Amino acid sequence: MARLRRTSVDSKEKLRRLADEELMELVAANNAEAFEVVLERHADAAFALAYRICGRRSAAEDIAQEAFLAVWRSGARYDRARASVRTWTLGIVHNRAVDALRRSGVHERRRAGAEGIEETLQATERTESEAVEKATSREIRGALDELPSEQRKVIELAYFGGFTHVEIASMLGAPVGTVKGRMRLGLGKLREQLQGWETVGA
Amino acid sequence: MRESDFDCPHRADAAAYVLGALEDGELHRFREHLDSCAQCRAEVAELQPVVDELPASVAPAVASDALRERVLATVRTEAELLSAAGNEADRPATSQRRSYRRNDLVLGVGAAAAAGVTALVAVLIAVGSSGQGKVAVYPGKAEAAARGAQVSLRQRDGRAELVVAKMPPPALGKIYEVWLSRGKGDARPTNALFSVTSTGSGAVDVPNSLHGIKEVMVTSEPSGGSVHPTGAPLIRVALRS
Repeated sequence: MARLRRTSVDSKEKLRRLADEELMELVAANNAEAFEVVLERHADAAFALAYRICGRRSAAEDIAQEAFLAVWRSGARYDRARASVRTWTLGIVHNRAVDALRRSGVHERRRAGAEGIEETLQATERTESEAVEKATSREIRGALDELPSEQRKVIELAYFGGFTHVEIASMLGAPVGTVKGRMRLGLGKLREQLQGWETVGA
Repeated sequence: MRESDFDCPHRADAAAYVLGALEDGELHRFREHLDSCAQCRAEVAELQPVVDELPASVAPAVASDALRERVLATVRTEAELLSAAGNEADRPATSQRRSYRRNDLVLGVGAAAAAGVTALVAVLIAVGSSGQGKVAVYPGKAEAAARGAQVSLRQRDGRAELVVAKMPPPALGKIYEVWLSRGKGDARPTNALFSVTSTGSGAVDVPNSLHGIKEVMVTSEPSGGSVHPTGAPLIRVALRS
């Protein structure tokens, strides 16, 4: 029993030196301290994503909380071959945030156009100075900004707005096939940019 | 015809799929299609990493300490419950304990509560050898109005915390209030008021001493709380005193 409940400062420091993937092995064995380190590393990113999607602080906190409890409870299902811990965690946050949005009246109003597409696309609040951001965040936002606006719009409405391509088509008054095509083109261009950075960075 | 010459008509769905933008019916069909179409699988594999980067584009924000504390309170309680069950499960073989699923245990507590089992015994767990004191975890019982809720009270170093999961949200204009009872018919109010998240999780510190307390109860009260309970308890946690 003692091996599973080392609570000293020492063990916390040791845990902090482990990679996410190693921590998840401990989490799968019900190690709450290992989970605490995972939470430390990804709580801000998870909250920021939930907040970007649902636009309300309290709802974003609920979503982040539930997502981390899901990470804790299903830690044994994490597969390091498929995704990084951060990607896996943020995937859970995204799914839950979009589900919540689709269930909520906010989404109904936005779909009906009462709140306008532009508002849907805006981040409600900028909470931190740009200086805090990592270079990659700036690059990814830059790459999004460089997309033709009709491609950026369909990607953002789908991923951050939680709208289906059929809903987006009716909001924009565009044919369904056109919306899918813009998604494909936009993601393809982002992919080229990402690959460019990898090559440059290597 | 070589595979690369064949342009699958569903390939256009791959981008909408990785963005989570297919309609329910389409999503189901596309997933089935993926099993048999290497071209679409390749397209998804190519585009998924791009979507995985999108979260990095959002404005940074800081998660509140309260959020971290709520998550950790639940996680520590569950770890303790599992560890307590682990001691029992240790007997047959260590390998069996490894496969012990945390959800089974927590659900087990809920199921026992739903079945009206009241004779659940408190579990005392020594926490390491670092002198952090003992943690007592008392499983609770959910009444019919909170059917399926999972409840436990966790006590350490004189501090107690009530943790609930799968609890229905309080009705509009209502809030959950914690009460302490020294015996039948006696219910003292506390200033511990709480609600639950959209999926029914919640945790609240029980501010008063539990010395001499036989039962911790939760009722649904008008916002702001009540001095006397206005309804029957939804949750009861019997303490060993």
